[in-house]
Amino acid sequence: MPKILVVDDEEHIRLLYSEELKEAGYEVITAENGFKLLETIEGEKPDLVILDIKMVDYNGLDILQDIRNQFYDLPVILSTAYDTFKEDMKSIAADFYVVKSFDLTELKKKIAMALETRLPG
Amino acid sequence: MAFYEENPLGITSAEVIVGIPTFNEVDSIARTVEQVDKGLAEYFPGMKCVIIDTDNHSADGTREAFFAAPGEMPRIFLSSAPGEQGKGRNLRNFFEKARELNPRAMVVIEADIKNISPVWIRNLGTPILKGAGFVSPLYVRHKYEATLTSSIIYPLLRCLYGRRVRQANVGDFGFSPKLLDLYLNPPLWDEAVGNFGIDIWMANIALAARVPIVQAFMGAPKIHRVKDPYSHLTVLFHEVLSTMFNLMGVYKEFWEQVKWSKPTALSGTDLHEMETPLPVDINTNWLHERFVEGFDKYFGVWERIYGPTVVPKLQEIMSLGLQHFSFPSQTWATILFDSAAVFRRLNPQERSGLLDALLPLYLGKVLSYVKKTERMSLQQAEEYIENECMIFEENKPYIIKVWT
Repeated sequence: MPKILVVDDEEHIRLLYSEELKEAGYEVITAENGFKLLETIEGEKPDLVILDIKMVDYNGLDILQDIRNQFYDLPVILSTAYDTFKEDMKSIAADFYVVKSFDLTELKKKIAMALETRLPG
Repeated sequence: MAFYEENPLGITSAEVIVGIPTFNEVDSIARTVEQVDKGLAEYFPGMKCVIIDTDNHSADGTREAFFAAPGEMPRIFLSSAPGEQGKGRNLRNFFEKARELNPRAMVVIEADIKNISPVWIRNLGTPILKGAGFVSPLYVRHKYEATLTSSIIYPLLRCLYGRRVRQANVGDFGFSPKLLDLYLNPPLWDEAVGNFGIDIWMANIALAARVPIVQAFMGAPKIHRVKDPYSHLTVLFHEVLSTMFNLMGVYKEFWEQVKWSKPTALSGTDLHEMETPLPVDINTNWLHERFVEGFDKYFGVWERIYGPTVVPKLQEIMSLGLQHFSFPSQTWATILFDSAAVFRRLNPQERSGLLDALLPLYLGKVLSYVKKTERMSLQQAEEYIENECMIFEENKPYIIKVWT
């Protein structure tokens, strides 16, 4: 069962994503901010990270660079309330992005694609 | 080996090497060398560095200007034999010399960049010392700049090799000793690679080698000596596409396993100043005329190469006229996939004919892109290209089917 790490400082988003993604057959763990996130990833070894961009005290795009530098191929999906983040070129280090919504159809589609991504060797 | 070598300090080893391929660059080499020298001194302190000018037997005093340029770093000058020209041959000589020096990181930078600054050397070289295999720059580009990359190279490489390298065909990059070994023992080396095909050849081999790739923000456009973007279009188009298509044959077992694409790591994200792209004039009438001429001249070829779903589409596109011109992305992806598959079955002369027939279709695709994005911001145009790339990726099973 693929393990997904949801990083978001809004509790209702963590709950929503957890419930829906568990129902969809994923194992879900959560973190409320970027504190020691790299250690969490190292320890928990998630198959995919859903990362909020704007968290109190943390910039998701900076965290994304750290993740990409340390875990080169780990799929990361950016989750945001607004799509203006795309003006920041740092966002291209993400596999995909989704705009936050109570309908998780698009998120689930992107998760499936990210987990399906296959590179040989 | 280079036909001629001048190594006045007798350098036998180096940790970081910067190579500058040249041919008659007397007016630009000094500034480039000065900026490279500053970059090495500032960002690689205490390391053994060397700058190599790898030349094509220039007769304009490039060699003298290279050695006379301000700076403290050791220098080596290489040259191919008289009459032996092409950027690929320059770089081949550079690879061979680099192997002797046993470096930890190599950077190649073009000689005629007017706005190169020292931090560019940091951005291209530092990721290699931290473990990357290949560094590709991300220059600030106008939405109409480098349309060959936006329309063909980026979507095709991304779809085939599964890594999103946005500007893979620029002449500047960093690479590791592991890649140097591959460049010295390549699976393919031909006339096209010896010339304009070298840049895409290097990026393509890096992608297939699965080395970690980093894209480096440069924070500025790349300003060259003024040149007509279409003056070498036919030669560039032939050499770049034939290199990509030939390498598809070499790496077929790799790319047929790839599904979807992944991003790369980034460097240079600490650059806070982002310059604006230079304006690019594009002549839509000229593009349309080339497409219409191509329709008249190559329609028979198109009928033979492309299937029964594509040809009626091309007739439909033709009927739209300039005002309503639109080239569907799905049709474009199918054309490129069919072209690649047919290319490998042809003899050299027939291959050249296929590329001649593909060129007006490419110009039609550029025209369509220009019309679609004319009211878009740079960001919106990038999103448009991303969507085009997804169409290529979604249609990956088609190229696998027609290839076999």
